[in-house]
Amino acid sequence: MRALTAILLVVGTAGISGAAEIHAPAQTTAGNAITIATSGSGDATFYLIGPASALKQKVQAGAGIPVDSGQLERAGRYVAVLCASDGCASTSFFVNPAAANRLSLLVHPSRVPVGRTNGISTVAFVFDNFHNLALKSEPVKFSILAKDAKEISANRDSENGVAWVRISSARKEGPVRIGAAIGHANEVRVVQQVAADACNLRIKASRVKNAFLVETDPVRDCSGNPVPDGTVVSFTKSDAGGKTTVDVPIKRGVARVEMPVEGGARISVASGVVTGNELEVAGGQ
Amino acid sequence: MSASLRYLLLAMAFCILVCALAVVHLPASASGELPHVELQAESAGPRSMEDLTSKSVPRDYALAWQSMERALEENRAGLLDAYFTGFAKQDLTERVKSQIQSGLQTRYQDRGHKLDAVFYAPAGDAMQLRDRAQFDIQVLDGGKVIYEAPVSAQFIVLMTPGADRWLVRQIQAIPGEKP
Repeated sequence: MRALTAILLVVGTAGISGAAEIHAPAQTTAGNAITIATSGSGDATFYLIGPASALKQKVQAGAGIPVDSGQLERAGRYVAVLCASDGCASTSFFVNPAAANRLSLLVHPSRVPVGRTNGISTVAFVFDNFHNLALKSEPVKFSILAKDAKEISANRDSENGVAWVRISSARKEGPVRIGAAIGHANEVRVVQQVAADACNLRIKASRVKNAFLVETDPVRDCSGNPVPDGTVVSFTKSDAGGKTTVDVPIKRGVARVEMPVEGGARISVASGVVTGNELEVAGGQ
Repeated sequence: MSASLRYLLLAMAFCILVCALAVVHLPASASGELPHVELQAESAGPRSMEDLTSKSVPRDYALAWQSMERALEENRAGLLDAYFTGFAKQDLTERVKSQIQSGLQTRYQDRGHKLDAVFYAPAGDAMQLRDRAQFDIQVLDGGKVIYEAPVSAQFIVLMTPGADRWLVRQIQAIPGEKP
């Protein structure tokens, strides 16, 4: 038994000492070429397995294996394996992201009511030239350019490749350009600031034949911005016959409806959660 | 009850206990069981994570790993469609294509993931996570194992919501623990 163990140990040691070896730098940067050192001799097969590639090629053991920059563009863990007649040897190494030079910008929402505090979420993802998330902290310049206004900008340091800022919408409607810049990258998104809910909703009525024409004053929000056409205004008539509601979209800034009235009636108006004035009218007068 | 019967029953109970423990600690394999994923959502910000999201993110991340492991073992890029998008899908599809060209396969034995949510966008449209993963990996050339190793790895992961699930948009291994 002892003899057998000794023989196995010797054979094993001989096998280890004769096996090909492979050595790569522990870390490198994306897009940089490297040379992987090997030992041993004779024909061998080299494998390089990375996040987006699995390369296999014939090499000579003992020679350096050049790995070109194109094979090392994706950041992450790589495994290099050298298989010769006496077995396989392997090593692993990391490719780190290159310098930040690209941005991906998420701005939400694309339409926002005016005067909304922190209503616009802006997130910038920082990448290198090879679409790897650049994890080293870098200053990202956010800028806001509203129509007829001066540009406002602020720097935020990225953390794990992410920088973000919350922006309040202006009091005046119109487009606002939101940008983020780093290195040579500059991304811009446009957010449309639209009127908020109607404010001081008022109606008036005038007689037409056997009905009343009820119409609003120009519908505006509390900052004086016209509420967009298409916004629904609800007119409600209450009389002896019960309650009737008619929904009408705003057209050219006002909403109007013809309501037949028999006897006395009360007409009210609302848009969303906002209510306006009430009118008392009498039919046949 | 005779002494031999008592010993027999004791032995059987011991065997059942051992089997139960083995099943509990058995790691998920690529082809079958869903990888175990634990999520720490407390550190997410600036938006705090909703209850439903804190359940769906680990579930969808586990399904993403399961589909990735199957795609790399069976060399079927189509399996990536359900839970990957953007650069993550593009990179893994490239990996599968080059595995096919080289005649390689990658086999995973998943031993679990600890996810920390590090960023949740104010509008809820993106989430960044850090994954501390443990798995055994084998690379096969024509069915022959050319590389195998236990791996403790860290990943920075970017997920974005899709129609009915969270999708992995970026997954990037970072140095930290033993490669």
